[in-house]
Amino acid sequence: MAYSVLIVDDSPVMRGFIRRVMRLSGFEVGECWEASNGEEALAELAEHPIDVILTDINMPKMNGEELLQRLSEQGTLSKVPALVISTDATKNRILRMLSLGAEGYMTKPFSPESLREELERILGGRNA
Amino acid sequence: MPDEALEIPVADEDAVLKGALALVSGEVLETMFFSEVIAAECEHGWLESAVAVQVTFDGSHRGEMWLAVGEEAVPELAAAFLGLDPGEAGEIESSQVMLELANILCGSILSSLWPESSLQLDAPKRAPWGCGGKGAWHCCLMLPEGRLAISIRLLEKPEAK
Repeated sequence: MAYSVLIVDDSPVMRGFIRRVMRLSGFEVGECWEASNGEEALAELAEHPIDVILTDINMPKMNGEELLQRLSEQGTLSKVPALVISTDATKNRILRMLSLGAEGYMTKPFSPESLREELERILGGRNA
Repeated sequence: MPDEALEIPVADEDAVLKGALALVSGEVLETMFFSEVIAAECEHGWLESAVAVQVTFDGSHRGEMWLAVGEEAVPELAAAFLGLDPGEAGEIESSQVMLELANILCGSILSSLWPESSLQLDAPKRAPWGCGGKGAWHCCLMLPEGRLAISIRLLEKPEAK
């Protein structure tokens, strides 16, 4: 089964890296949408069916925290699992993002294998 | 055993911090840039022509991190990050990758040094190399693609008015 993915990051090269690493890992990616901040992510989510969101935290306009907050307030969208990908590995930040509803938290650097494992865990092993 | 935390003498603390810079940088470059890192003697003649990036941070710690990458290494590292053939990365893409590298290095190093901290990183920006000398932790690394240098300097918090 191929999954529809939304990558949210203000760095276009990071979005490209994540997209490439997902494919390298063997994770089955169907449609792959991109957004450069939380606002754009919400617009993409309104337009397309998404299976999983991969989001950065520090972004202009609407950051990852606000995005998770907004998602939790919206019925159907609150069910779309979100994986946070960040350089920030501090305990406070991880706990904060998980408390806002993130299903997982990956810190950079990460390998293709670890990204795949985390996506499979979040999606309930449906891609295994 | 006494309850007090062991105090590391300043000279040893410097060595620990420099070791952490090299270790975390090595992990980032090997995992996401597919490069091999070797510790290198500091020799800074190349910094003048290097591509340098500054990242400032604030929160429980305030300061700045500087990354310098030898100009010959920039397009090679960018190509490795983007999955392109060597030499295929353009100037704009290469510059964006260097900003991203600085961001990843800064976040990873600070989280590793102070896992209990609460920090906010500003957006990385290109700037002439400006961090060295007293009060800065610094390490130079050698990659197959060229040289790389990292410095971190903590700054005093402004007094509350």
